[in-house]
Amino acid sequence: MSVWSWLKLAVGLWVLRKLLRATGWLLLAAVAAAAWPVTLVTVTGYTAAWLRGWPPVRLYRAAAWVLPVTVAWLAGAEVRAPGWAAALAPGRAWVRDLEHPAGMELARAFALAAPAAVPAGLALAGLAWAWRNYAITAGLGGVMASAPITFDTRQWKRQVRTARGLTAAPGAVPLLARGGQIPVGGTIRAVGHRWHPVFAVPSSACGRHMVIVGSTGSGKTNLMIRLWAGWFTATLQQARSGRGNRPLLVVLDCKGGRDSRRKADRTRRLMYGAGARRVAVWPDEARLSLWDLPPADLAVLLYQMIESGTGAAAYYADVLQAVLTLAVLAPCGPPVNMAGFLDRLDAKWLQQAWGDGRHAAEAARVRGAARHLPDIQLRYATLLGRLGPALDGPGNLADADAWYFILEGTREPSVAQAQAMAITELAAQAATALDGEPRAILLAADDYSAVSGRVPVSNLYERGRSLGIGVQVSAQSWQGLGKDDDERYRIAATADGGIFVMHTSYPEPLTQLAGKRRVLETAHKLIGNSWGDEGTTRVQRAWTADPDLIRRLAVGQACYIHRGAATFVQVARPQPSPLTLLPRPAPADPPVQLPVPRQEPAPPAWPVTARRDLDDVFGPGADR
Amino acid sequence: MSTNPFEALGLPADPGLSDEQVRAAWRQIAAAAHPDRADGGDLDRYTQASAAYAELRTPWGRSEAHADLVEQSWRVGGADDRSDTVPLPVVGTGQLPPPVPPWQPLIDLARLPVRICHGRPLRLLARGLVAAGLCLVVLALIPGQPAAPADVGGLILWFVLTGRRDLAPPPER
Repeated sequence: MSVWSWLKLAVGLWVLRKLLRATGWLLLAAVAAAAWPVTLVTVTGYTAAWLRGWPPVRLYRAAAWVLPVTVAWLAGAEVRAPGWAAALAPGRAWVRDLEHPAGMELARAFALAAPAAVPAGLALAGLAWAWRNYAITAGLGGVMASAPITFDTRQWKRQVRTARGLTAAPGAVPLLARGGQIPVGGTIRAVGHRWHPVFAVPSSACGRHMVIVGSTGSGKTNLMIRLWAGWFTATLQQARSGRGNRPLLVVLDCKGGRDSRRKADRTRRLMYGAGARRVAVWPDEARLSLWDLPPADLAVLLYQMIESGTGAAAYYADVLQAVLTLAVLAPCGPPVNMAGFLDRLDAKWLQQAWGDGRHAAEAARVRGAARHLPDIQLRYATLLGRLGPALDGPGNLADADAWYFILEGTREPSVAQAQAMAITELAAQAATALDGEPRAILLAADDYSAVSGRVPVSNLYERGRSLGIGVQVSAQSWQGLGKDDDERYRIAATADGGIFVMHTSYPEPLTQLAGKRRVLETAHKLIGNSWGDEGTTRVQRAWTADPDLIRRLAVGQACYIHRGAATFVQVARPQPSPLTLLPRPAPADPPVQLPVPRQEPAPPAWPVTARRDLDDVFGPGADR
Repeated sequence: MSTNPFEALGLPADPGLSDEQVRAAWRQIAAAAHPDRADGGDLDRYTQASAAYAELRTPWGRSEAHADLVEQSWRVGGADDRSDTVPLPVVGTGQLPPPVPPWQPLIDLARLPVRICHGRPLRLLARGLVAAGLCLVVLALIPGQPAAPADVGGLILWFVLTGRRDLAPPPER
């Protein structure tokens, strides 16, 4: 073959290809012009999706919503004039328009064709938009090599704008949606999850374990308060309809300070709006009694509250534990307040309590530990003194629908640690108590790492799981979730209620849990500075929850990771419905029914057997 | 003292203000009203501005202050200034709120005007006018055609689906 022949063949093939392509486009243009009402709706739908960052599914759903109208129209037309005469009216109007295109006639034709053109046009717009998304992300479309990047960036901005607009609407994101769903905010982007304009999590997710990670100022508080209020409302509604227990929300705010008071106030306002009858803020306005715990649990807790050390100090730890067991499990009953407990850490008291002759082993232990007792008493007096009166009763968790515990984890970490231990123990007891009313409990720990000294958060987590308590843990970073990676992974990987990641600088370990998804990567052959006709496409793996996107999240944006999928959401600020009317105060405030403080049981009187023994020796009335 | 910290700093009540804007407003007032000024300054104004700045200096604080203002304006019957954060009396255990009555849909319907008032009534009105206008156009263009009721039905559907987000949420939701 000569060069000239090869050239002719090459040019001929090129022209043929271009002609075929042009013919295709011309045919498409002819069809689009002929079916102009459908084209009009398609273009409008496509443009709206492009400008507002909608996914194609939104257009499909809009088409599906219109379908009943179309069906009703067809049915009406058939009833009115059997044989589809009326249904063919749009076709006839269309033919007339082609002959005499005029403004009013076009509008008339569109109105006649709208019941069919609107769903068809929306569905076509959805298909076209889906193809555009696919082509761009797979590298098949776009003029420049950077098209996928610019397309994604632009769409993200539009998606955020749309989600913000939705969250600003008063009725778009209420505290609770139908079916017990807790609306969180406007969906920005869903990767793997089903897309809905308003992203909602089922209330049952809060009843399991949930992790929230976000740096200061990322909007974590808003998200958490929204989840609490939503969970409370959903659980209360279930209780009203007899499908569950009354809710009890226990919040541990482990940072303390002024902001915590403000958060507590806001939580309370919202909880009242959600139907709570009493929201207690501890320690400012309410008290709890540590001494209500079952004696055995109380003894263990009191032991754990003191730093006992290891190595040589283990000996002392054993003595401490033995003394506490003797003091708390005394035959006269457990202590009922701090003063009573401290009184018991006294050799004389313990000897009196156990010296009834029936507890020889315990009495011997008391004698053995006698010399340590002043030291132990001093340590507990110091600890309980620092804890303050707020754990000394009266009061218990059942007194309120929600408890907001403010622990000064930043100012006094050791005290906050001890308080956190006591409160989680009380919550566990409330969950397992057989005598009281069963409650559905959600234990939320905000910045728990500030107080997780001796009781790691994983312990809290596993405990909650075994007791059927929902546990929600928040931290400012991945590192804040636990002491080491083992613990952090244990917490994050078992969060079956999902993980909310907000703006944080190191999201990789959390995004790993969402896994990767298969994407198409297309490589184009470059001829000079432009793309050639050849290339390859291969399947690659990409993050489901892109860590870089998470690093760039703005205030109030979150990524919800659950079951290998992720949804980016613009969290809506929780606000109670303005229609929520609080119960009016009674004309005269009824007296608050506070539990009466219990009296410390006195140990039995000193045994008089000793005197009888002496009488036996010396004889009654003998001169001694 | 003003209860509106934005007002105290001469700023619009907007949670989207930046730290710089708040700081600039505070510095301007502090420079003009500081008691150490030769003319004695304005202690009251300075105190108010200081308190407002402490409240608005962080994005979270601004968001809270704005939300407080919104909720204040929401209170039904402006004369009722009772704080809704006063702890209620202790309720005995086992006392559940009353169950939902079967006529709840009627109650919801009766609440609709209040929900409109507390939502975005102007937006809703605009949507309603657009829908009504298009309905009139359709009825004028194709009177008596089977497509007319379908078009009108479609427009009403659009109004209901998009307009409900402009209503305030019902109580306890």
